[in-house]
Formats: sequence, structure tokens, C-alpha cells
Amino acid sequence: MSRVRIVLFATLVLVLVAIALITPATSQTPKSGGVLNVMLREDLSQGFSIHETSTISTVWPAMPCLSNLVLFDPLKKTESVDTIIGELAEKWSWQDNYRNLVFFLRKGVKWHDGQPFTSKDVKFTFDMLREAADAPAKLRINPRKDWYANVEAIEAPDPYTAVFRLKKPQPSLLLMLASGYTPIYAAHVSPANYRTACVGTGPFKVKEWRKGEFVELVKNPDYFVKGRPYLDGLKYFVIVERGTRQAAMQAGKLDVSFPGETTKTAAEQLKKAVPQLVVTPYSQNVTDNIIMNVKKPPFDNPKIRLAVSHAIDRRALIQAVHQSGAVVGASLAPKPWGLWGLAEKDLVGLPGYGAKPADEKALARKLMAEAGSSPEKPLKVEIVTRAIAIYVDMASFVINELKQIGIDASLKQIETAQWHAMATRGDYQLGANLTGIGPDDPDANYYENYACGSPRNYSQYCNEEVMKMIDAQSQELDPKKRLALNYAIQKKLEADAARPILDWKIDYFTVWPHVKNLIPHQSIYNFGRMQEVWSDK
Amino acid sequence: MKTYVVQRLAIALLTLLGMSVVIFTLLRLAPGDIVDILFSTAGYVSPSEKQAIMRELGMDRPYWVQYLDWLRQIVTGDLGKSYRYDQAAWPIIRPLVPVTLELAALSILFAVLIGVPTGVVSAVRQDTTLDYLLRVFSLAGLSMPAFWLGMVIILALVTWFAWIPPLTYVGPTENFKLHAVQFLLPALAVGYRSSALIMRITRSSLLEVMREDYIRTAWAKGQTGRVVIWRHALKNALLPVVTVIGIEFAFLIGGLVVTETVFNLPGVARFLVQAILWRDYPVVQNLVMFIAVVVILSNLLVDMLYGVLDPRVRYGG
Repeated sequence: MSRVRIVLFATLVLVLVAIALITPATSQTPKSGGVLNVMLREDLSQGFSIHETSTISTVWPAMPCLSNLVLFDPLKKTESVDTIIGELAEKWSWQDNYRNLVFFLRKGVKWHDGQPFTSKDVKFTFDMLREAADAPAKLRINPRKDWYANVEAIEAPDPYTAVFRLKKPQPSLLLMLASGYTPIYAAHVSPANYRTACVGTGPFKVKEWRKGEFVELVKNPDYFVKGRPYLDGLKYFVIVERGTRQAAMQAGKLDVSFPGETTKTAAEQLKKAVPQLVVTPYSQNVTDNIIMNVKKPPFDNPKIRLAVSHAIDRRALIQAVHQSGAVVGASLAPKPWGLWGLAEKDLVGLPGYGAKPADEKALARKLMAEAGSSPEKPLKVEIVTRAIAIYVDMASFVINELKQIGIDASLKQIETAQWHAMATRGDYQLGANLTGIGPDDPDANYYENYACGSPRNYSQYCNEEVMKMIDAQSQELDPKKRLALNYAIQKKLEADAARPILDWKIDYFTVWPHVKNLIPHQSIYNFGRMQEVWSDK
Repeated sequence: MKTYVVQRLAIALLTLLGMSVVIFTLLRLAPGDIVDILFSTAGYVSPSEKQAIMRELGMDRPYWVQYLDWLRQIVTGDLGKSYRYDQAAWPIIRPLVPVTLELAALSILFAVLIGVPTGVVSAVRQDTTLDYLLRVFSLAGLSMPAFWLGMVIILALVTWFAWIPPLTYVGPTENFKLHAVQFLLPALAVGYRSSALIMRITRSSLLEVMREDYIRTAWAKGQTGRVVIWRHALKNALLPVVTVIGIEFAFLIGGLVVTETVFNLPGVARFLVQAILWRDYPVVQNLVMFIAVVVILSNLLVDMLYGVLDPRVRYGG
């Protein structure tokens, strides 16, 4: 062989090796079969009735049984209008300048009890949710009624078309419809029935719910997406004790952890024990925040509210309380964890985000002095929080920070049974709170937590200028303009210390390597459908 | 004897009636109710919706009406409806009962099997190295909470064998081996603690009996150590031990909560705590009454056993 040929051959080999190295591995072909064991940290609080609760303990095991009109693509980690796919709706179309949203429904879909799915079910569900005057059914608890305040009517002109008529344009409505919080209920089943059983159209059917022990689901052979689900079944195990949950994960008795369960430290311990475990950090869409009752002294004084916000060193809190398992951000999840939030560089200049914590504290002390308090003559207040470790840890940190600016806060722990009633009544001065948000969209957050008169606006902050901005962003059709408006709103809310955000929590979602296609999104509430998940065991 | 049992049962009924008042009152005195919890999971509160749910659950009625209604349900064998699960309470409670009874019985069995022989040996070999070792063993059992030992067992299993017991209840007919493993580990953890108490009581009681004249007489008559200790001394020393076993068993029925939680066993105690947290009045009331019944019956059984163990005990009538 000539030298030229040898060189050519060697070059060819090298090129092939290089190609092999830089080309990503071909994704594996999904396999059918198998049952996944999934973690639940408490029993389902309202059975499968997602519409009557906000807790992930219900949404996570109930999602596989139900279907939405549309859903955030389970295979994409980003939730946006571009990643929405049809479920019960085959197609949809905005009409009349975003005033009418028309859904064209799939034909031949059956409920788990064999009844056909039609537009009547869609109308039934959303009339019930928005509490229309002529709604044929009523939920006993309806936490997301406000989401549909802009819906004027739901029409079902034929069995496979449903029309949402809106009072004013609201492009973000589609994102709320794509959330795990928005399944369609069967019109022929009482909503109360979902507290004990699940008649859905989802990829899995409920086989057995043994109270306090497990929920078992099996593949729905009549599922409307051909070839799905891949799995034969899912079994959600209720394990109340955290140490046992972690041991079960480590021992391989569980394949999938619980969303929002795994802290950074826990994930590190698990990885150390079982290096092959797959850990994916993602935003829980849950914030630590401070609620200050603006209707009661002393927090009716904006200077004191602002002083509180300046005083709390967010970065130190993240290190001390979350062992770096959280990130700073304003009222919407920051990039890259969310789409709408202010980045860390944009937070500079807002209360509590200054480069030097000492300067922030000095500013806070100055504000307190103007309000008539000082470290020598401290302002005595009571800080309430839920009697749960994650709340108490945060509250303890805040108390220490406030002490340095002349606020002497005493901690009062409130039982879960009383917490929301107390917060809604405004029966407190200062509180250390956690807030979970469904989809990563401004409307879902602002109307719930900052709108005047909203029952979840615990601070009772009400600013007409901000409300106008919130309405404007909701109706804005240009995504860039909407984003800019949202940046402005976030800055305004932080500058007003409406509900100072301390951090955005990160979950370290853990699965065994044979679990495929289970991709965490930007929110814990939206990726539990499991239709694309398969097991490579 | 018959009259005594009837008297005791009559007193038990009165005790249960008193218990029912205490349970009912204490539950209502605890802050918050099921409706608050339901709203808590939804993250908001609406006073008008709260009123509607209170009405639906019958919680808006006067307390005395609710109390009498509960008594009527007990008498008719209807345990009402779980507020949390929105379905009849009995089908929820029924599968929990055998789990707890089995765990408590196995724990007591372990406790007796370990506690009585070690107590006897310790007493017979008083102030020897073996006695000191056994006393340290028992003191360790008393000092170690069962849930802590349970968690250590779980962690040891997962660290060394990458294995833990089943996460859900496995019935004995379903898979006997797994069933046995599932119960043996928590029963050992709980039984060790109880055995420590039994060992100490056995030891002190036996030491006391060994100093009695009739034991000295037995020795003087040249009877063997085995006969003196097992036939004469131990039988008379067992009365306080039986009392402790009875109390321990009764305590375990309600006191297994942490062990059931750590080993993820679906028993009465673990479920009761969840029901209390949810203010699920029908479930809590009925489970506490069940525990009360077991306590009363086990005490009655212990009293009956006194007559068998000590012929001097006679039941009036």
C-alpha cells in the first residue's frame, strides 16, 4: 500500500471516529410494558378531584387518569405557548382578535366508563369552574375560579366543537388550560364522585386506591393516542416518613421521586449512595416570600414594609436555609428556570438585592428611623408561619435579619388547619409564607396573588396602577411587549414591597436510569400525565 | 366468676361512655376543622363555601345532636362517613385493625421471649458479670426509642443490602415469607424496648420471691434449681409481669404510630395520626374507641389471668 493510501486510510478512520464521537447517541426506541413505582408523600387530599384542590399530592397521582383540552408537551421541559399540544382538542384557533378560542375536539374518545366524550363535557367543566349562573353542577371548593373571570360564555355548537367567548382578549388563557390543574370532567358524573373515583379519558385507569397506602393505575387500552401509554401501569406509594421515602428510592423500591420532594442535600446523598440515579434540577415554581398586612399597623406604613424587604439578605438565606438549592428572583420565575422573571442582573437596585448586604441593612435602618424605630428602641411585631420545618427555618432566618434593623419579631407557629383561614382573614401582622404557582404565566400568578380582592392576596396589597398594568399585559398580543410589561410589573411589586420574594425553590427530581421520557417542566403541577414515559428495564 | 365478668363489662361500658364524651369534646376543642384543612389544600378560604360544606357534613348542628348521632351510629354498627375520604369509615378502618393487632401481638411475643428468660437469668445470677451484661442490654432497650431503632434497621438494610421491607401491606396468604419479614423487623424493634421493661420487672419480682420462706423451704427439701425457680418462684413472680405485659399490649395498640410510619405499615396508629391532622372526626372517634375497647379488654384478660396464676385470687360474686 502506498504511503498516500495509508495516509488517506488513516485520515478516513480518524474522521469516522471523530464523527462517531461528536454525533449524539441515537435516542432509544421506546419499549412498551412495565410498571413504575412512584413516590407519594401523603395520601390524596381530595381523591382525584383536581379542581377542588391545589396540592401536588392530588395533582401528581390524578393526572394520568385525566385529560385536558391542551397540555404542555410532556417531552419538552419549557412551558410556553409554543410547547402546547392538543389532548382532547385536536386543533384550536383564536378568533376575533383573541376574543374567541375555538377548540376542535377529537372524535371517538371514550370515558373510562365507556361513554363518549363530546363538547358537552367541555361546557360542563368550564361552566362549573367559572360558576356560570346556569352551570349544571357546583364544586364544593373552587380554588381557581378567578382564572376564568374573563370567560363570558362557553358554547358547544356541535359535539366536536367548543368555543370560549372572552370578555376581552386574553392569550394566556391557553396556558392555563394547558396546566395539570385543568382536566376535563365527565358531564355524566357528579363532580363529588371524583373525590373517591376517577372517570377520565387519560392514558391510565384507576385500578385501586387503598387509603393511606397506595394508588394503582393500569393502562387504558382505549386511550385516544395510538401506541400510548407505553407503561402497563403506575403504582403510587404513600410514604409519610421522609427517611423511609429516601431509603425506598435508594433501595430501588421506588423508580420515581415526588415532585418538590428532593432537596439539593438529599439529592447529593442519594447520588453518593447510588451514582447511577438521574437527578434533574428544575424550578418548583414555588417561592419563599414575606407577607405583610398592609391594612394593619405597623405594616400599613410603606417605609416599614420597604425596610423589611431591604433587610433580608436573599443570597445568605438561600445558602443557609436551602444549602444553595434555590435562586433569587422577583414575582415570576427567573431565567433559565422560567420564561418571565427578572434575571439576577435586573434585580440589582431592587430592595434586598444590593451587592452589599451591609448597605441594604443601613438603608433599612434609615427607613426604620424615619418611621420612629431603631435597634435601641425596637419595633415589636409577631411573625406567623406554618408549623412545618421548611416554613419555620425560613422564618427563623428572617427574624434574625429583622433584629439587625430594629424589628423584634416573635415567632408564632400556626397549624395547617388554621393557616389559610388566618391569612385570608388578614389576622396577622407579618408572615413567612410559601406560594406555589400552577403554570409559569403572569396571569396565573398575578390575578391570584396580587389582584385587589383576591382571597389569596394575603397582604391585601391593592394598587390600581399595578392592576392596570396586570390587565394590560394579560391582553397584550405582542410577546415582546408583554414581557417588557411584566418586567415593569415585577420591579414595581418589589419596589412597593407588595409581597417581597425571597427565593425560588429548585427541586432535584430523581429517577432511576431505566425511567425514560419523564421530563420535569417549569412547574411541579404540569408534567404528571405519564403517557410518554417508558421503562428500559 | 361470671358475676365478676358481668360487673367488669358493665363498668367497661360506663368507661367507654365517659371516654366517648372526652374524645368528642377534645376533638372539638382542637383548633380548626376538616373544612379548614380542605380549604388549606386549595390555598384559600371562602366563608360561604365553608358554611355549605359544614352543612353537608352535618357539622353545623348543635354539638349534643352530633354526639348523640355518633352514639346511635356506634350502637347500630354504622361508623359514619370519613370526612376526608368522603366514604363510609368502616371499610377504611377495617383493613387497619389486623395489621396493628398482629404487630402488637408479635412485638409482645418477642418481648416475652426475650424479657422473661433474661429476667430469670439475671435474677438467678444476681450481681455476676452476666447479670450486669443483661441489665446493660435491658437499659439500652429502655433508652432506645423503637422508631429510632426502626430507622437504624431500615438504614442498615438499605446501606448494606440495598433492600428494605415491602412498601405496602403483604397479606400472609399472598406471600407468607414477605409478610413475615414485613412484621418481624418492626416487631423486633418494638419488642426489644418492651422486653427491657419485662426483663427488669421479672428480675426484681423474682428476686423478691426468691427471698420468701417457702423458697428457702424448697431449697432445704433438696429440690433442684430448675424446680425451685421455674415451678415455685417464677409462677409466683409472674403476677406483676403479666400486668406489665397487659399494659404494654394495650399501650402498643395506640403507641405504634412511629414504628408503623417508619416501616410504612398501614395500621391503626399511623392512620389515626393522619386522621387527627385532618380533623376527620368520625375516623378519629371510632379509632380511639377501638383502642379504648382493646385496652379495657386486655386489662380484663389480665385480671382473669391472675386467678389462673394465683389460686389465692378469688372473684367475688
